[in-house]
Amino acid sequence: MSSVAEMAAIFLVPKDRDAVLGDLAETGASGWSALGSVLGLVVRQQMELWRASQPWVAGSMSFAGSLLLLCVSFGLSVDSRHLLRGERGWGSVLCEALLMLSWAWTSGFVVGSLSAKTRWVSGILCAIPCLSCVLRFHNTSLSRLCVLLFLQPGLVGAVQGVRRARLSHRTALALAIAMTALMLVWGDMYMRDWFLSLPAWWLVAHAGPSKLSNDKVAA
Amino acid sequence: MLGEFEYVLITAAAGLGESAYGAAIREEIEKVAGRRCSIGALYTTIERLEKKGMLKTWMGEATAQRGGRAKRMVRVTPKGLHAAKEFYEAMMRVSRNASWATTKPERVS
Repeated sequence: MSSVAEMAAIFLVPKDRDAVLGDLAETGASGWSALGSVLGLVVRQQMELWRASQPWVAGSMSFAGSLLLLCVSFGLSVDSRHLLRGERGWGSVLCEALLMLSWAWTSGFVVGSLSAKTRWVSGILCAIPCLSCVLRFHNTSLSRLCVLLFLQPGLVGAVQGVRRARLSHRTALALAIAMTALMLVWGDMYMRDWFLSLPAWWLVAHAGPSKLSNDKVAA
Repeated sequence: MLGEFEYVLITAAAGLGESAYGAAIREEIEKVAGRRCSIGALYTTIERLEKKGMLKTWMGEATAQRGGRAKRMVRVTPKGLHAAKEFYEAMMRVSRNASWATTKPERVS
């Protein structure tokens, strides 16, 4: 068996890697034939993932969410500048910042938890509008990176979503209610803001049982 | 209902019994069905059938012939056997009046 096939097998999960390379060694497959077999499996496994709806939803949410959050980040940067000039109150900008953090985190969490195995595609779909916006950004008074304020909380949410997959029902509900209350307090609402709060309510709908409920069941 | 290749794979794995694993199932399919079976098709189908609860897999022993790598052993679950039986019966019913059917099953009155 060729070492090229062994290198290509790094795209397989360890369990499959051992079984497939062992099968190829047993059948005496070598060179291009072994490489073709490994790559064929890698491609089929990726295609199999896309037969479910979750990767499509995660990809769409990643693309649409990053487009909207670019606008939110820009709005927050402009309002922060107004705050420093004394043209805007602290409360309003703080609400806006907290909302941006929570929208980005919940969107990232949902994308990560929906389809961990296709996270690279979701990442690329998020990066395309970000790069496009940064490269076209022209505002002498603001850094072009100001539109990427949402990126860090979004990435943290995505990593946590991949690891945890679900929030407890109590946490998800508290988060969604807090975000909705914050939106109502903030007041400057657009249709975009309601769209961005959808991931929080999605987390409520798909939450796992809270620790207290588990304890009750165990008792 | 099972797909055609899923049925072929379950039948081959059930026939091999305790010695069913990736390479053996592949060889059996190629020998009995007379068709080429790629490793990609084999393992993605095994994965899908395991998710459906029709197969159970675990890592077996490693041999020198396999370069010290473990086998992915396969066992057909009762659910898999039931699904294969249903597929077989459905194909027999569908084919009963076909011109190519060699044995015509008795018509149910």
